[in-house]
Amino acid sequence: MTDAGRVELARALVAGGLVCYAPANLLPVMTIAMTGEVDRLTVLGGVRELYESGLAPVAAVVFAASFVVPLAKLLCLSWVLLLHGSAGWRRERTAALRVLKLIGSWSMVDVFLLSVLVAVGQLGALASVRSEPGVCFFAAMLLFTLAAGEVYEPRLIWQRREAAAA
Amino acid sequence: MRRRAGQNFRHGQPMLAIPPPGRAGPPRLMGADGKQRCPVCGAVMARRELRPGQELRCRRCGSTVRRAAGELLAPLCWALATTGLIVWGLAVCTPILTFEIAGREQSNWIWTGIAGLAAQGYWPVAVLVFFSAMAAPVLHLAAVWYVSGALSSGGRWPGAERAARLARAVAPWSLTPVFAVACGVAVVKLEMLGRVEWHQGAFWVLALAACSFALARLLDDRGPGEARGG
Repeated sequence: MTDAGRVELARALVAGGLVCYAPANLLPVMTIAMTGEVDRLTVLGGVRELYESGLAPVAAVVFAASFVVPLAKLLCLSWVLLLHGSAGWRRERTAALRVLKLIGSWSMVDVFLLSVLVAVGQLGALASVRSEPGVCFFAAMLLFTLAAGEVYEPRLIWQRREAAAA
Repeated sequence: MRRRAGQNFRHGQPMLAIPPPGRAGPPRLMGADGKQRCPVCGAVMARRELRPGQELRCRRCGSTVRRAAGELLAPLCWALATTGLIVWGLAVCTPILTFEIAGREQSNWIWTGIAGLAAQGYWPVAVLVFFSAMAAPVLHLAAVWYVSGALSSGGRWPGAERAARLARAVAPWSLTPVFAVACGVAVVKLEMLGRVEWHQGAFWVLALAACSFALARLLDDRGPGEARGG
């Protein structure tokens, strides 16, 4: 793939991630039914439930992984791609991509959490866990941002203006 | 000296060079003028000898250009990858935990969650979990095992460069450490609702996460995407 193609693909992936971000957070990702009580949980709803149960540290981990990291990734990638071809903030943009690579995959915690809960939540009326459409948007957003981070290599930040425009 | 696939020698030290995906070989560190350049920003860098464990960092962009691996990098990676492959098999074959509520219980393997998601019609999410929690870790371990085995033995193993490219391509999708954390969070959540009992599988998942994490650190791809010594 050419460098220009990489930039265009990364932009498309980030745009896809931005589109998926709102439904991923507004739609429920799972329904937990335990002994007659039914809870439809969004990503932030799950965090609030953990917090209200007195598990603030766990809630903080899930909040950081499921809400802060994806948002930071989308904003950071948008910033890096908007500045593509310009000479400003190059070192900072390179460092930002490095940090994104380190923390980016942690946003998968929520999807894995759902898979573990679905596995044990097959006890009929006593306990059941169902996935909801929000998880598809959430997973798509994660895929888009992970792929964008892989497609847009740090060396592209340092291309000369004319090469970047080509 | 003739170079073997995926192997390079500098100052008598083996270098584990894993080229980034989509590229035939490692990024060019030498410019046409014979000077060493940073593969990320192209800055000219002073050449200097590195002791094992030292790294050469670009002053302009902050990327790590070269890291002296030392003699033991390839054997260490090979040992970790071998352990990881065995542990992967154990983690997949043994239950992680059992959840019990009102006398009824349900066990959880890595794959039961995937099967559950697929049964509920969420195929894309099931495929994503399957790939990142099961397939990518074993592909990454197998590819690293092959490349580091070739480097450790000093033999000419066919397809080592292809295996190195595969290792680099799947590394970002190998998310066992994240899966291990998710298991911990799930247990905390489930304990609010019923009784949870850990099984051996949890230990193997944790061990697999440790192997994957250690390999990721050893084959750290800062900068251009190179884990190499020098």
